[in-house]
Amino acid sequence: MLDVTKSGLGSEARTRARLVSLCVNGEWHEVAVKPRVTLVEAIRDAIGLTGTKASCECGTCGACTVLVDGRPVLACITLAVECDGRQVRTVEGLADGEKLSALQEAFLDQGGLQCGFCTPGMLMSATALLERSPRPSREEINKALEGNLCRCTGYNAIVDAVLQASGQGVKPVMK
Amino acid sequence: MILFDFELERPDTAADAVALLGRLRGDARLLAGGTDLMPNMRAELVKPGVLVSLGAIAPEAPATLPDGSLRVDAFSRLADLERSGVVHARAPMLAESARAVGGNQVREMGTLGGNLCQESRCLYFNQRHDYQFAARCYKLGGERCYPFPTNKRDTCWSVYMSDVAPALVALGADVEILSEAGGRRIPVEELFTGSGLAPLALDGAELIRAAIVPAPAPRTGWAFHKSTVRGGLEFGMAVIAVTLALADDGKTCAGARIAVGAVRERPVRASAAERVLAGAVPEDARLAEAAAAAAKEVNPLPHHGFTKRYLMDNIRVHLRRTLARALERARGARG
Ligand SMILES: Cc1cc2nc3c(=O)[nH]c(=O)nc-3n(C[C@H](O)[C@H](O)[C@H](O)COP(=O)(O)OP(=O)(O)OC[C@H]3O[C@@H](n4cnc5c(N)ncnc54)[C@H](O)[C@@H]3O)c2cc1C
Ligand code: FES
Ligand code: FES
Repeated sequence: MLDVTKSGLGSEARTRARLVSLCVNGEWHEVAVKPRVTLVEAIRDAIGLTGTKASCECGTCGACTVLVDGRPVLACITLAVECDGRQVRTVEGLADGEKLSALQEAFLDQGGLQCGFCTPGMLMSATALLERSPRPSREEINKALEGNLCRCTGYNAIVDAVLQASGQGVKPVMK
Repeated sequence: MILFDFELERPDTAADAVALLGRLRGDARLLAGGTDLMPNMRAELVKPGVLVSLGAIAPEAPATLPDGSLRVDAFSRLADLERSGVVHARAPMLAESARAVGGNQVREMGTLGGNLCQESRCLYFNQRHDYQFAARCYKLGGERCYPFPTNKRDTCWSVYMSDVAPALVALGADVEILSEAGGRRIPVEELFTGSGLAPLALDGAELIRAAIVPAPAPRTGWAFHKSTVRGGLEFGMAVIAVTLALADDGKTCAGARIAVGAVRERPVRASAAERVLAGAVPEDARLAEAAAAAAKEVNPLPHHGFTKRYLMDNIRVHLRRTLARALERARGARG
Protein backbone atom coordinates (compact mmCIF):
# COMPACT_ATOMS: atom_id res chain seq x y z
CA MET A 1 0.00 0.00 0.00
CA LEU A 2 1.02 3.53 -0.65
CA ASP A 3 3.13 5.24 1.98
CA VAL A 4 1.42 8.53 2.61
CA THR A 5 4.32 10.20 4.36
CA LYS A 6 6.75 9.41 1.53
CA SER A 7 4.47 10.34 -1.32
CA GLY A 8 3.76 13.70 0.26
CA LEU A 9 0.01 13.35 -0.08
CA GLY A 10 -2.16 16.07 1.30
CA SER A 11 -3.84 19.23 0.13
CA GLU A 12 -0.58 21.15 -0.12
CA ALA A 13 0.92 18.60 -2.50
CA ARG A 14 0.64 19.49 -6.18
CA THR A 15 -1.64 17.15 -8.04
CA ARG A 16 -0.22 15.69 -11.19
CA ALA A 17 -2.04 14.38 -14.21
CA ARG A 18 -2.26 10.61 -14.51
CA LEU A 19 -2.46 8.41 -17.51
CA VAL A 20 -5.87 6.82 -17.77
CA SER A 21 -6.89 4.19 -20.33
CA LEU A 22 -10.47 4.28 -21.49
CA CYS A 23 -11.94 1.92 -24.03
CA VAL A 24 -14.48 4.17 -25.71
CA ASN A 25 -16.78 2.47 -28.21
CA GLY A 26 -14.28 -0.35 -28.65
CA GLU A 27 -11.22 1.85 -29.15
CA TRP A 28 -8.59 2.36 -26.45
CA HIS A 29 -7.57 5.91 -25.62
CA GLU A 30 -4.90 7.04 -23.20
CA VAL A 31 -5.60 10.41 -21.67
CA ALA A 32 -3.60 12.40 -19.14
CA VAL A 33 -6.00 13.81 -16.57
CA LYS A 34 -5.87 15.23 -13.08
CA PRO A 35 -8.16 13.49 -10.59
CA ARG A 36 -10.63 16.39 -10.74
CA VAL A 37 -11.34 15.87 -14.45
CA THR A 38 -14.76 14.33 -14.99
CA LEU A 39 -15.55 11.57 -17.45
CA VAL A 40 -17.61 13.92 -19.63
CA GLU A 41 -14.68 16.33 -19.82
CA ALA A 42 -12.32 13.52 -20.78
CA ILE A 43 -14.72 12.21 -23.44
CA ARG A 44 -15.48 15.60 -24.96
CA ASP A 45 -12.28 17.58 -24.49
CA ALA A 46 -9.50 14.99 -24.43
CA ILE A 47 -10.94 12.32 -26.73
CA GLY A 48 -12.96 14.72 -28.86
CA LEU A 49 -16.28 12.88 -28.92
CA THR A 50 -18.81 15.67 -28.45
CA GLY A 51 -21.98 13.61 -28.81
CA THR A 52 -22.17 13.28 -25.02
CA LYS A 53 -23.61 16.50 -23.63
CA ALA A 54 -22.87 18.31 -20.40
CA SER A 55 -25.84 20.32 -19.19
CA CYS A 56 -26.54 20.70 -15.46
CA GLU A 57 -23.15 19.19 -14.54
CA CYS A 58 -24.46 18.18 -11.13
CA GLY A 59 -26.25 14.90 -11.70
CA THR A 60 -29.80 16.11 -12.13
CA CYS A 61 -30.55 16.05 -15.87
CA GLY A 62 -29.07 12.90 -17.42
CA ALA A 63 -27.81 14.63 -20.60
CA CYS A 64 -24.31 13.29 -19.94
CA THR A 65 -25.38 9.64 -19.55
CA VAL A 66 -22.88 7.11 -20.94
CA LEU A 67 -22.49 3.40 -20.28
CA VAL A 68 -19.55 2.28 -18.17
CA ASP A 69 -19.20 -1.50 -18.23
CA GLY A 70 -22.83 -1.54 -19.35
CA ARG A 71 -24.19 0.63 -16.53
CA PRO A 72 -25.79 3.98 -17.36
CA VAL A 73 -23.83 6.56 -15.37
CA LEU A 74 -23.74 10.33 -15.17
CA ALA A 75 -20.44 11.31 -16.78
CA CYS A 76 -20.58 14.82 -15.26
CA ILE A 77 -20.23 13.47 -11.71
CA THR A 78 -17.97 10.53 -12.53
CA LEU A 79 -14.23 11.11 -12.32
CA ALA A 80 -12.26 9.98 -15.37
CA VAL A 81 -9.58 8.36 -13.17
CA GLU A 82 -12.27 6.12 -11.70
CA CYS A 83 -12.88 4.65 -15.15
CA ASP A 84 -9.29 3.57 -15.84
CA GLY A 85 -9.29 0.34 -17.82
CA ARG A 86 -13.04 0.27 -18.30
CA GLN A 87 -15.43 0.00 -21.22
CA VAL A 88 -17.23 3.24 -22.01
CA ARG A 89 -20.00 3.54 -24.57
CA THR A 90 -21.24 6.84 -25.89
CA VAL A 91 -23.90 7.82 -28.41
CA GLU A 92 -21.28 7.68 -31.18
CA GLY A 93 -20.99 3.94 -30.59
CA LEU A 94 -24.66 3.15 -31.31
CA ALA A 95 -24.68 3.38 -35.08
CA ASP A 96 -22.84 0.85 -37.24
CA GLY A 97 -21.15 3.17 -39.71
CA GLU A 98 -23.98 5.04 -41.44
CA LYS A 99 -26.57 2.57 -40.18
CA LEU A 100 -28.40 3.82 -37.11
CA SER A 101 -29.41 1.40 -34.35
CA ALA A 102 -33.04 0.28 -34.23
CA LEU A 103 -33.53 2.55 -31.24
CA GLN A 104 -32.09 5.58 -33.03
CA GLU A 105 -34.33 4.85 -36.04
CA ALA A 106 -37.35 4.62 -33.75
CA PHE A 107 -36.49 7.96 -32.12
CA LEU A 108 -36.37 9.56 -35.57
CA ASP A 109 -39.55 7.86 -36.66
CA GLN A 110 -41.59 8.75 -33.59
CA GLY A 111 -40.26 12.29 -33.32
CA GLY A 112 -38.61 11.40 -30.02
CA LEU A 113 -36.47 14.51 -30.17
CA GLN A 114 -36.80 18.19 -30.90
CA CYS A 115 -33.78 20.25 -29.87
CA GLY A 116 -31.90 16.99 -29.38
CA PHE A 117 -29.85 18.03 -26.37
CA CYS A 118 -31.23 15.28 -24.12
CA THR A 119 -31.14 12.68 -26.91
CA PRO A 120 -27.65 11.19 -26.48
CA GLY A 121 -28.39 10.60 -22.78
CA MET A 122 -31.88 9.26 -23.50
CA LEU A 123 -30.48 6.87 -26.09
CA MET A 124 -27.84 5.57 -23.71
CA SER A 125 -30.32 5.04 -20.84
CA ALA A 126 -32.75 3.32 -23.21
CA THR A 127 -29.97 1.20 -24.75
CA ALA A 128 -28.96 -0.02 -21.27
CA LEU A 129 -32.61 -0.83 -20.54
CA LEU A 130 -33.11 -2.82 -23.74
CA GLU A 131 -29.93 -4.80 -23.14
CA ARG A 132 -31.18 -5.79 -19.71
CA SER A 133 -34.83 -6.17 -20.62
CA PRO A 134 -35.52 -6.62 -24.36
CA ARG A 135 -39.30 -6.09 -24.07
CA PRO A 136 -39.78 -3.58 -21.28
CA SER A 137 -43.22 -2.52 -20.10
CA ARG A 138 -44.23 1.14 -20.27
CA GLU A 139 -43.70 1.35 -16.51
CA GLU A 140 -40.20 -0.11 -16.81
CA ILE A 141 -39.37 2.39 -19.54
CA ASN A 142 -40.60 5.30 -17.43
CA LYS A 143 -38.49 4.13 -14.50
CA ALA A 144 -35.39 3.59 -16.67
CA LEU A 145 -35.69 7.07 -18.17
CA GLU A 146 -36.57 8.73 -14.86
CA GLY A 147 -33.14 10.33 -14.67
CA ASN A 148 -33.23 11.86 -18.14
CA LEU A 149 -34.95 15.21 -18.41
CA CYS A 150 -36.36 16.52 -21.70
CA ARG A 151 -37.66 20.06 -22.02
CA CYS A 152 -39.07 19.57 -25.51
CA THR A 153 -40.90 16.36 -26.31
CA GLY A 154 -43.19 15.72 -23.37
CA TYR A 155 -41.68 12.21 -23.19
CA ASN A 156 -44.53 10.27 -24.85
CA ALA A 157 -42.82 10.08 -28.21
CA ILE A 158 -39.66 8.87 -26.48
CA VAL A 159 -41.49 6.09 -24.65
CA ASP A 160 -43.22 5.14 -27.91
CA ALA A 161 -39.84 5.02 -29.64
CA VAL A 162 -38.53 2.57 -27.04
CA LEU A 163 -41.68 0.44 -27.44
CA GLN A 164 -41.29 0.54 -31.22
CA ALA A 165 -37.61 -0.39 -31.07
CA SER A 166 -38.44 -3.36 -28.87
CA GLY A 167 -41.11 -4.55 -31.31
CA GLN A 168 -44.06 -3.97 -29.03
CA GLY A 169 -46.87 -3.01 -31.35
CA VAL A 170 -46.19 0.71 -31.76
CA LYS A 171 -46.75 1.51 -35.43
CA PRO A 172 -44.03 3.42 -37.26
CA VAL A 173 -45.27 6.96 -37.94
CA MET A 174 -43.17 7.88 -40.95
CA LYS A 175 -42.88 4.65 -42.92
CA MET B 1 -16.37 20.77 -13.56
CA ILE B 2 -14.70 20.74 -10.17
CA LEU B 3 -12.77 23.90 -9.62
CA PHE B 4 -10.07 22.74 -7.21
CA ASP B 5 -7.42 20.07 -7.28
CA PHE B 6 -7.32 17.01 -5.06
CA GLU B 7 -5.50 13.71 -4.94
CA LEU B 8 -7.20 10.36 -5.32
CA GLU B 9 -6.26 7.00 -3.85
CA ARG B 10 -7.78 3.66 -4.79
CA PRO B 11 -7.03 1.19 -1.99
CA ASP B 12 -7.63 -2.51 -2.69
CA THR B 13 -9.24 -3.34 0.63
CA ALA B 14 -11.53 -1.68 3.13
CA ALA B 15 -8.78 -2.04 5.75
CA ASP B 16 -6.40 -0.05 3.55
CA ALA B 17 -9.11 2.56 3.04
CA VAL B 18 -9.54 3.19 6.77
CA ALA B 19 -5.76 3.17 7.24
CA LEU B 20 -5.50 5.95 4.65
CA LEU B 21 -8.37 7.86 6.26
CA GLY B 22 -6.65 7.52 9.62
CA ARG B 23 -3.38 8.92 8.33
CA LEU B 24 -4.89 11.74 6.29
CA ARG B 25 -7.11 12.87 9.17
CA GLY B 26 -9.77 15.34 8.12
CA ASP B 27 -8.27 16.16 4.73
CA ALA B 28 -9.65 12.99 3.15
CA ARG B 29 -13.11 11.88 2.09
CA LEU B 30 -14.40 8.53 0.97
CA LEU B 31 -15.64 8.40 -2.60
CA ALA B 32 -18.21 5.71 -3.33
CA GLY B 33 -20.69 6.36 -6.17
CA GLY B 34 -19.95 10.07 -5.92
CA THR B 35 -23.56 11.05 -6.56
CA ASP B 36 -23.74 13.05 -3.35
CA LEU B 37 -20.10 14.02 -2.95
CA MET B 38 -19.38 15.18 -6.51
CA PRO B 39 -22.23 17.73 -6.71
CA ASN B 40 -21.25 18.97 -3.24
CA MET B 41 -17.61 19.32 -4.29
CA ARG B 42 -18.68 21.11 -7.44
CA ALA B 43 -20.56 23.62 -5.29
CA GLU B 44 -17.52 23.72 -2.97
CA LEU B 45 -19.54 22.72 0.06
CA VAL B 46 -16.65 20.36 0.80
CA LYS B 47 -13.07 20.72 -0.43
CA PRO B 48 -11.16 17.57 0.50
CA GLY B 49 -7.46 17.34 -0.35
CA VAL B 50 -7.64 13.61 -1.00
CA LEU B 51 -10.40 11.30 -2.09
CA VAL B 52 -10.16 7.72 -0.94
CA SER B 53 -12.05 5.84 -3.63
CA LEU B 54 -13.85 2.60 -2.82
CA GLY B 55 -14.05 1.88 -6.56
CA ALA B 56 -11.42 -0.86 -6.55
CA ILE B 57 -13.17 -2.87 -3.83
CA ALA B 58 -15.83 -5.21 -5.22
CA PRO B 59 -18.84 -5.51 -2.92
CA GLU B 60 -19.79 -8.93 -1.63
CA ALA B 61 -23.16 -10.26 -2.68
CA PRO B 62 -25.95 -9.96 -0.05
CA ALA B 63 -25.88 -13.08 2.11
CA THR B 64 -28.01 -14.73 4.77
CA LEU B 65 -26.17 -15.24 8.07
CA PRO B 66 -26.63 -18.35 10.30
CA ASP B 67 -29.11 -16.49 12.54
CA GLY B 68 -31.32 -15.75 9.54
CA SER B 69 -30.33 -12.10 9.26
CA LEU B 70 -29.28 -10.55 5.94
CA ARG B 71 -25.86 -8.94 5.53
CA VAL B 72 -25.66 -6.33 2.80
CA ASP B 73 -22.28 -4.93 1.78
CA ALA B 74 -22.33 -1.13 2.14
CA PHE B 75 -20.40 -0.77 -1.11
CA SER B 76 -23.29 -2.39 -3.04
CA ARG B 77 -24.89 -0.24 -5.71
CA LEU B 78 -28.53 0.62 -5.00
CA ALA B 79 -29.56 -0.76 -8.41
CA ASP B 80 -28.00 -4.11 -7.54
CA LEU B 81 -29.97 -4.23 -4.27
CA GLU B 82 -33.12 -3.36 -6.20
CA ARG B 83 -32.46 -6.32 -8.51
CA SER B 84 -31.19 -8.79 -5.89
CA GLY B 85 -33.37 -11.85 -5.39
CA VAL B 86 -32.00 -12.40 -1.88
CA VAL B 87 -32.79 -8.83 -0.85
CA HIS B 88 -36.30 -9.13 -2.31
CA ALA B 89 -36.85 -12.35 -0.41
CA ARG B 90 -35.31 -11.39 2.95
CA ALA B 91 -35.74 -7.62 3.16
CA PRO B 92 -38.15 -6.45 0.45
CA MET B 93 -38.49 -3.01 2.08
CA LEU B 94 -34.76 -2.43 1.57
CA ALA B 95 -35.19 -3.16 -2.16
CA GLU B 96 -38.20 -0.87 -2.36
CA SER B 97 -36.44 1.99 -0.58
CA ALA B 98 -33.40 1.61 -2.88
CA ARG B 99 -35.74 1.79 -5.85
CA ALA B 100 -37.20 5.04 -4.51
CA VAL B 101 -33.85 6.86 -4.66
CA GLY B 102 -33.13 9.50 -7.29
CA GLY B 103 -33.17 8.52 -10.94
CA ASN B 104 -31.95 5.40 -12.67
CA GLN B 105 -28.34 6.51 -13.07
CA VAL B 106 -28.13 7.63 -9.44
CA ARG B 107 -29.17 4.12 -8.38
CA GLU B 108 -26.69 2.52 -10.79
CA MET B 109 -23.86 4.63 -9.34
CA GLY B 110 -24.92 5.27 -5.74
CA THR B 111 -24.08 2.85 -2.94
CA LEU B 112 -25.81 1.85 0.27
CA GLY B 113 -23.02 3.35 2.41
CA GLY B 114 -23.03 6.60 0.45
CA ASN B 115 -26.78 6.80 0.75
CA LEU B 116 -26.62 6.50 4.53
CA CYS B 117 -23.73 9.00 4.75
CA GLN B 118 -25.19 11.59 2.43
CA GLU B 119 -24.96 15.22 3.48
CA SER B 120 -28.14 16.82 4.81
CA ARG B 121 -29.92 19.24 2.52
CA CYS B 122 -31.47 22.69 2.51
CA LEU B 123 -32.55 24.92 -0.37
CA TYR B 124 -29.94 27.47 0.68
CA PHE B 125 -27.11 25.10 1.47
CA ASN B 126 -27.07 23.05 -1.73
CA GLN B 127 -25.73 25.62 -4.14
CA ARG B 128 -22.62 27.61 -4.79
CA HIS B 129 -22.46 30.14 -2.00
CA ASP B 130 -20.21 32.70 -3.61
CA TYR B 131 -22.74 32.86 -6.41
CA GLN B 132 -25.81 34.03 -4.55
CA PHE B 133 -24.88 34.87 -1.02
CA ALA B 134 -22.32 37.19 0.42
CA ALA B 135 -21.75 35.19 3.56
CA ARG B 136 -21.68 31.49 4.32
CA CYS B 137 -24.41 29.82 6.35
CA TYR B 138 -23.99 28.18 9.79
CA LYS B 139 -23.39 24.77 8.27
CA LEU B 140 -20.44 26.16 6.35
CA GLY B 141 -19.06 27.90 9.42
CA GLY B 142 -20.65 31.25 8.63
CA GLU B 143 -22.62 33.76 10.65
CA ARG B 144 -26.21 33.32 9.52
CA CYS B 145 -29.00 30.97 8.60
CA TYR B 146 -30.69 32.25 5.45
CA PRO B 147 -33.98 30.32 5.56
CA PHE B 148 -34.42 30.63 9.33
CA PRO B 149 -32.75 33.91 10.34
CA THR B 150 -33.84 33.62 13.96
CA ASN B 151 -32.14 30.26 14.49
CA LYS B 152 -29.26 30.27 16.96
CA ARG B 153 -25.72 29.44 15.85
CA ASP B 154 -26.01 25.80 16.98
CA THR B 155 -29.24 25.17 15.08
CA CYS B 156 -29.23 24.17 11.44
CA TRP B 157 -32.48 22.94 9.98
CA SER B 158 -31.07 21.16 6.99
CA VAL B 159 -32.90 17.85 6.63
CA TYR B 160 -31.48 14.36 6.16
CA MET B 161 -33.10 12.91 3.07
CA SER B 162 -31.93 9.33 2.68
CA ASP B 163 -34.72 7.05 1.50
CA VAL B 164 -32.93 3.92 2.64
CA ALA B 165 -32.22 5.00 6.22
CA PRO B 166 -35.87 5.07 7.41
CA ALA B 167 -36.37 1.60 5.92
CA LEU B 168 -33.35 0.25 7.79
CA VAL B 169 -34.51 1.91 11.01
CA ALA B 170 -37.98 0.35 10.70
CA LEU B 171 -36.38 -3.03 9.94
CA GLY B 172 -34.33 -2.75 13.13
CA ALA B 173 -31.08 -3.07 11.17
CA ASP B 174 -27.53 -2.63 12.44
CA VAL B 175 -24.55 -1.23 10.60
CA GLU B 176 -21.02 -2.62 10.76
CA ILE B 177 -18.49 0.17 11.14
CA LEU B 178 -14.85 -0.32 10.29
CA SER B 179 -11.94 1.71 11.59
CA GLU B 180 -8.24 1.03 12.09
CA ALA B 181 -9.12 -0.19 15.58
CA GLY B 182 -11.35 -2.87 14.07
CA GLY B 183 -15.04 -3.36 13.53
CA ARG B 184 -18.02 -2.44 15.67
CA ARG B 185 -21.70 -2.97 15.17
CA ILE B 186 -24.35 -0.43 16.13
CA PRO B 187 -28.07 0.02 15.46
CA VAL B 188 -28.61 2.21 12.38
CA GLU B 189 -30.35 4.74 14.58
CA GLU B 190 -27.10 5.44 16.40
CA LEU B 191 -25.48 6.63 13.19
CA PHE B 192 -27.22 9.95 13.49
CA THR B 193 -26.50 12.89 15.77
CA GLY B 194 -29.73 14.80 15.20
CA SER B 195 -27.76 17.95 14.38
CA GLY B 196 -28.10 19.48 10.92
CA LEU B 197 -24.58 20.88 11.27
CA ALA B 198 -22.99 17.42 11.42
CA PRO B 199 -25.69 14.79 10.95
CA LEU B 200 -23.50 11.67 11.16
CA ALA B 201 -22.00 10.18 14.29
CA LEU B 202 -19.10 8.68 12.31
CA ASP B 203 -15.52 9.56 13.00
CA GLY B 204 -13.74 10.85 9.86
CA ALA B 205 -11.56 7.73 9.89
CA GLU B 206 -14.43 5.23 9.94
CA LEU B 207 -16.47 3.72 7.20
CA ILE B 208 -19.67 1.74 7.00
CA ARG B 209 -18.85 -1.77 5.88
CA ALA B 210 -22.27 -3.43 5.90
CA ALA B 211 -25.87 -3.29 7.02
CA ILE B 212 -27.37 -6.24 8.83
CA VAL B 213 -31.11 -6.71 8.67
CA PRO B 214 -32.50 -9.14 11.26
CA ALA B 215 -34.92 -11.86 10.22
CA PRO B 216 -38.47 -10.58 10.83
CA ALA B 217 -40.54 -11.91 13.73
CA PRO B 218 -43.43 -14.18 12.67
CA ARG B 219 -46.53 -12.44 11.26
CA THR B 220 -44.62 -9.25 10.43
CA GLY B 221 -45.77 -6.92 7.67
CA TRP B 222 -43.97 -3.90 6.24
CA ALA B 223 -44.79 -0.87 4.12
CA PHE B 224 -42.84 2.05 2.70
CA HIS B 225 -44.05 5.36 1.31
CA LYS B 226 -42.17 8.29 -0.20
CA SER B 227 -44.16 11.45 -0.90
CA THR B 228 -42.97 13.41 -3.91
CA VAL B 229 -44.36 16.12 -6.15
CA ARG B 230 -43.49 14.52 -9.49
CA GLY B 231 -43.16 10.86 -8.60
CA GLY B 232 -39.62 10.54 -9.93
CA LEU B 233 -36.07 11.91 -9.76
CA GLU B 234 -36.83 13.70 -6.59
CA PHE B 235 -35.95 13.78 -2.92
CA GLY B 236 -38.88 12.98 -0.63
CA MET B 237 -41.14 15.52 1.07
CA ALA B 238 -41.61 12.88 3.74
CA VAL B 239 -40.55 9.24 3.74
CA ILE B 240 -42.36 6.69 5.88
CA ALA B 241 -41.21 3.16 6.71
CA VAL B 242 -43.13 0.76 8.92
CA THR B 243 -42.92 -2.80 10.19
CA LEU B 244 -45.80 -4.23 12.20
CA ALA B 245 -45.95 -7.63 13.89
CA LEU B 246 -49.10 -9.45 15.00
CA ALA B 247 -49.23 -11.60 18.13
CA ASP B 248 -50.06 -15.36 18.15
CA ASP B 249 -53.78 -14.62 18.04
CA GLY B 250 -53.29 -12.96 14.63
CA LYS B 251 -55.29 -9.96 15.84
CA THR B 252 -53.34 -8.01 18.47
CA CYS B 253 -50.35 -5.92 17.45
CA ALA B 254 -47.25 -7.41 19.09
CA GLY B 255 -45.19 -4.38 18.16
CA ALA B 256 -44.48 -1.85 15.43
CA ARG B 257 -41.47 0.14 14.31
CA ILE B 258 -42.19 3.44 12.60
CA ALA B 259 -39.53 5.66 11.03
CA VAL B 260 -40.07 8.97 9.26
CA GLY B 261 -37.39 10.46 7.04
CA ALA B 262 -36.65 13.65 5.08
CA VAL B 263 -38.40 15.91 7.59
CA ARG B 264 -35.76 16.27 10.29
CA GLU B 265 -31.99 16.33 10.75
CA ARG B 266 -32.15 12.55 11.12
CA PRO B 267 -34.62 9.73 10.47
CA VAL B 268 -37.02 9.84 13.41
CA ARG B 269 -38.52 6.91 15.30
CA ALA B 270 -42.14 7.58 16.17
CA SER B 271 -42.04 5.87 19.58
CA ALA B 272 -45.26 7.35 20.97
CA ALA B 273 -47.12 6.08 17.90
CA GLU B 274 -45.49 2.67 18.32
CA ARG B 275 -46.79 2.59 21.92
CA VAL B 276 -50.31 3.38 20.72
CA LEU B 277 -50.17 0.21 18.63
CA ALA B 278 -48.28 -2.25 20.83
CA GLY B 279 -50.66 -4.63 22.58
CA ALA B 280 -53.73 -3.11 20.91
CA VAL B 281 -56.02 -4.46 18.21
CA PRO B 282 -55.03 -2.29 15.26
CA GLU B 283 -58.45 -1.23 14.00
CA ASP B 284 -58.70 1.74 11.66
CA ALA B 285 -59.26 4.16 14.53
CA ARG B 286 -56.11 2.90 16.29
CA LEU B 287 -54.04 3.32 13.16
CA ALA B 288 -55.36 6.86 12.78
CA GLU B 289 -54.61 7.60 16.43
CA ALA B 290 -51.06 6.31 16.03
CA ALA B 291 -50.52 8.33 12.85
CA ALA B 292 -51.76 11.50 14.52
CA ALA B 293 -49.44 10.91 17.47
CA ALA B 294 -46.53 10.40 15.07
CA ALA B 295 -47.17 13.65 13.19
CA LYS B 296 -46.96 15.47 16.52
CA GLU B 297 -43.90 13.78 17.92
CA VAL B 298 -41.93 13.86 14.67
CA ASN B 299 -42.52 17.61 14.61
CA PRO B 300 -41.37 18.06 11.00
CA LEU B 301 -39.13 20.94 9.97
CA PRO B 302 -40.34 23.09 7.13
CA HIS B 303 -38.11 22.25 4.17
CA HIS B 304 -37.85 22.82 0.41
CA GLY B 305 -41.00 24.93 0.39
CA PHE B 306 -43.17 22.52 2.39
CA THR B 307 -44.64 24.03 5.52
CA LYS B 308 -44.63 22.35 8.89
CA ARG B 309 -48.40 22.27 8.85
CA TYR B 310 -48.51 20.57 5.46
CA LEU B 311 -45.88 18.02 6.50
CA MET B 312 -47.80 17.19 9.69
CA ASP B 313 -50.89 16.51 7.60
CA ASN B 314 -48.82 14.52 5.13
CA ILE B 315 -47.43 12.28 7.88
CA ARG B 316 -50.81 11.87 9.56
CA VAL B 317 -52.52 10.74 6.35
CA HIS B 318 -49.75 8.73 4.70
CA LEU B 319 -48.63 7.01 7.89
CA ARG B 320 -52.20 5.83 8.51
CA ARG B 321 -52.36 4.36 5.00
CA THR B 322 -48.86 2.92 5.27
CA LEU B 323 -49.74 1.23 8.56
CA ALA B 324 -52.87 -0.22 6.97
CA ARG B 325 -50.76 -1.74 4.17
CA ALA B 326 -48.27 -3.16 6.67
CA LEU B 327 -51.14 -4.67 8.66
CA GLU B 328 -52.52 -6.30 5.54
CA ARG B 329 -49.13 -7.83 4.82
CA ALA B 330 -48.80 -8.99 8.43
CA ARG B 331 -52.13 -10.81 8.13
CA GLY B 332 -50.89 -12.52 4.96
CA ALA B 333 -47.43 -13.30 6.37
CA ARG B 334 -46.39 -16.74 7.53
CA GLY B 335 -46.97 -17.34 11.23
C1 LIG C 1 -30.14 13.84 -9.06
C2 LIG C 1 -29.98 13.22 -7.72
C3 LIG C 1 -31.08 12.73 -7.06
C4 LIG C 1 -30.94 12.11 -5.82
N1 LIG C 1 -32.06 11.63 -5.22
C5 LIG C 1 -31.95 10.99 -4.03
C6 LIG C 1 -33.12 10.43 -3.42
O1 LIG C 1 -34.22 10.51 -3.96
N2 LIG C 1 -32.97 9.80 -2.24
C7 LIG C 1 -31.77 9.68 -1.62
O2 LIG C 1 -31.70 9.08 -0.56
N3 LIG C 1 -30.66 10.22 -2.17
C8 LIG C 1 -30.71 10.86 -3.37
N4 LIG C 1 -29.59 11.41 -3.93
C9 LIG C 1 -28.37 11.48 -3.13
C10 LIG C 1 -27.33 10.41 -3.39
O3 LIG C 1 -27.07 10.32 -4.73
C11 LIG C 1 -27.71 9.02 -2.94
O4 LIG C 1 -28.08 9.10 -1.60
C12 LIG C 1 -26.64 7.97 -3.12
O5 LIG C 1 -27.06 6.74 -2.61
C13 LIG C 1 -25.32 8.34 -2.46
O6 LIG C 1 -24.44 7.24 -2.59
P1 LIG C 1 -22.99 7.39 -3.26
O7 LIG C 1 -22.37 6.05 -3.20
O8 LIG C 1 -23.08 8.01 -4.58
O9 LIG C 1 -22.31 8.38 -2.23
P2 LIG C 1 -21.04 9.32 -2.36
O10 LIG C 1 -21.42 10.58 -3.04
O11 LIG C 1 -19.88 8.56 -2.91
O12 LIG C 1 -20.77 9.59 -0.83
C14 LIG C 1 -21.65 10.37 -0.04
C15 LIG C 1 -20.99 10.64 1.32
O13 LIG C 1 -20.86 9.45 2.06
C16 LIG C 1 -19.50 9.14 2.35
N5 LIG C 1 -19.39 7.69 2.18
C17 LIG C 1 -19.58 6.97 1.06
N6 LIG C 1 -19.51 5.66 1.31
C18 LIG C 1 -19.27 5.53 2.64
C19 LIG C 1 -19.10 4.42 3.52
N7 LIG C 1 -19.17 3.15 3.09
N8 LIG C 1 -18.88 4.68 4.83
C20 LIG C 1 -18.81 5.95 5.29
N9 LIG C 1 -18.96 7.02 4.51
C21 LIG C 1 -19.19 6.83 3.20
C22 LIG C 1 -18.69 9.97 1.38
O14 LIG C 1 -17.44 10.31 1.92
C23 LIG C 1 -19.58 11.19 1.19
O15 LIG C 1 -19.37 12.12 2.22
C24 LIG C 1 -29.67 12.01 -5.20
C25 LIG C 1 -28.56 12.52 -5.87
C26 LIG C 1 -28.70 13.10 -7.12
C27 LIG C 1 -27.48 13.62 -7.81
S1 FES D 1 -24.96 17.05 -17.18
FE1 FES D 1 -24.73 15.25 -16.06
S2 FES D 1 -26.65 14.99 -15.16
FE2 FES D 1 -26.86 16.91 -16.13
S1 FES E 1 -35.36 17.14 -27.26
FE1 FES E 1 -34.90 19.07 -26.38
S2 FES E 1 -34.48 18.49 -24.32
FE2 FES E 1 -35.21 16.66 -25.13
